[in-house]
Amino acid sequence: MKTRTTAPPKAGPVRATLMLGVGVAALAGAVLLSLVAGSKPTPPLEVLGVFTGGADPYIVTVVESRIPRTIVGVLAGAALALAGTLMQGVTRNPLADPGLLGVNAGAAAAVVTATALLGPTSVTGTVWWALPGALLAGLAAYTVGTRGGDGGMVRLLLAGAVVSAVLTAYVQAVALSMPDVFDSYRYWVVGSLAGRGVDVVLAVLPVIGLGLVLALFVMGGLNALALGDEAAVATGANVTVTRAGGLVAGVLLASGATAAAGPIAFVGLAVPHVVRSLVGVDFRVQVPFAALVGPTLLLVADVVGRTVVRPMELMVGVVTAFVGAPVLLYVLRRTKGAS
Amino acid sequence: MSRTISEPTQSESTRGGPPEPARRVLRVGRLLALPVHPRSLVIGSALLVVLLVAAAATLSLGRLGIPLAQIPAALGGQGEATHLFALERLRGPRLVVAAGTGVALGLAGSLFQSVTRNPLGSPDVIGLAAGAGAGASVAALALPGIVPVPLGALAGASLAIVIVYLVTGTGLRDPGRLIIAGIGVAAMATALTHFVVSVMARDQAGVLASYVNGSLSARSWDHAATIWVAVALAVPFVLALAGPITVNEMGDELADSLGAGATTTRTGAVVLSVVLSAAAVSVAGPIAFISLTAPQIARRLSAAPGPNLVLSAVVGALILVCADLAVQQSPVGDGLPVGVFTMALGGVYLGYLLIREWRKGTL
Repeated sequence: MKTRTTAPPKAGPVRATLMLGVGVAALAGAVLLSLVAGSKPTPPLEVLGVFTGGADPYIVTVVESRIPRTIVGVLAGAALALAGTLMQGVTRNPLADPGLLGVNAGAAAAVVTATALLGPTSVTGTVWWALPGALLAGLAAYTVGTRGGDGGMVRLLLAGAVVSAVLTAYVQAVALSMPDVFDSYRYWVVGSLAGRGVDVVLAVLPVIGLGLVLALFVMGGLNALALGDEAAVATGANVTVTRAGGLVAGVLLASGATAAAGPIAFVGLAVPHVVRSLVGVDFRVQVPFAALVGPTLLLVADVVGRTVVRPMELMVGVVTAFVGAPVLLYVLRRTKGAS
Repeated sequence: MSRTISEPTQSESTRGGPPEPARRVLRVGRLLALPVHPRSLVIGSALLVVLLVAAAATLSLGRLGIPLAQIPAALGGQGEATHLFALERLRGPRLVVAAGTGVALGLAGSLFQSVTRNPLGSPDVIGLAAGAGAGASVAALALPGIVPVPLGALAGASLAIVIVYLVTGTGLRDPGRLIIAGIGVAAMATALTHFVVSVMARDQAGVLASYVNGSLSARSWDHAATIWVAVALAVPFVLALAGPITVNEMGDELADSLGAGATTTRTGAVVLSVVLSAAAVSVAGPIAFISLTAPQIARRLSAAPGPNLVLSAVVGALILVCADLAVQQSPVGDGLPVGVFTMALGGVYLGYLLIREWRKGTL
């Protein structure tokens, strides 16, 4: 939000279109990279051969195994970036992240409970626990945070913090007193795209899709909301509907992404700041642009994680911060005309 | 221009009810003039009584506890050797460290939230706790036995703050830039911690994960001295800033025009807050959530505008002492780090206050 006072770039229609074009190209490049690069190097020409037919069957298997992982990366990256943009827009707070309403903590609590009761499960198994856990936690925080009528954002932020704190305390208590649970939890909590199959995609696709549609509906209203409640009402915007729609969409998107790839909060927290400084404050540009930048960041981070310590892999949650944070800090440094 | 959140001050001051009486002011010569808020005084005293009860319980419960009747004698250096041992070596320093750390974290959070006008603000958001966790992890993984883990934590926290300071380009006076830089640095530090925990052997990882949650086990009088000296050094500055900070909450322009110097106040408050948190990290590791919840609980209890500094400090101490009591004496607490209980206690209580407000329809 601060960037608005620090003279953002003028986001005229030409510049916006240009930036969106660059974003699409970058994402396409990242997708291609994600298919070509891996812990086993495959020459790009042979990867193209997979799609035209007539490639080595071994290469076909390798590349095909990268397709669902890439799809999960695109979905999760877009969902996290959008969720962050919506949460920061609705709450007018630059610290708002997709986990704001306890979504990450809810998913973690459900995963830990499932592991404690049923023993370690597969990646697909955790999705079916993480998804309802995340949605329930988000719903609980939303209910406590928005009752009381005046729509004060402090209540909402605190309600989210409370739900997160209590659930995180539960997660830590269970994980630290049961070594087996801790052993699988410590991998889940980093966030990873490895081993995600088509079933994971199908599990989270409806939730993320619904969130995406809602986001497109409310993005115009968010511009009015940014003026402050009084001014927004005065312009004729329906503040209540926009706010509720934005929050629900944020919870849906964040839940889907966290269920699929684990809690990678940084994408949702940082991408909105980067997007604002690149395309300005108009949410009608911010929302689609965030949906391009988020997956690009996540896929590039995943590729780096797969290649940098060959033949091992680094989990994408670790790499994302180290790829994304320098970009964020550079952008911050560049917008130096501070208030 | 939408500043970050400013609702608390507005809604508190426009809250219904009888008009407030003129503010009473405690004066010490011409040096000091502190506004006195009767309700805060009453609540503060009540909380102090609860704190004393919790302290007495900490000393007297459990297998090595000192019976209540013996505590005064033991404090005077008389009584059974086991009681004296428990008081001087086991429970005593731990209790004093818990109270001091709670005070430091409560003050730090209160200062930081006030000058950033953000209820999610605490020195942790600018990377302090995350840096401490990463420092501890690296010390434990890369240099086991060479660098003590607490020293690693302090080094990590300091490094994080220095990076944040350098990256903002404007120092510590612009909260918006501070927070964004903090997000980036904290994310890298957290990722590093997660990575270290995931590559370590399981048992080591468990120990480290406990430390990263903050711990008060086996504290000595050295730790107690460290934290209380830090608090004592900070208090005069906190008192000096209390007035300007309250004015600052009304906005930079007004504060400047009243001669309160918004930028100076903010830089001072952030520095104080970071120093207090760093002292807390060095004695107890990164204990979560006290600097976030204590000021909010204090604000809701006192219903007073401004940062509620003293009350936040008392609430912070109370949360940490109670959490430590739970760790020592409750059946589920065995072996868990105290940070888990501060999250649970602070979270549940703040949640209760929020739901009560919702019922009453205030705020």
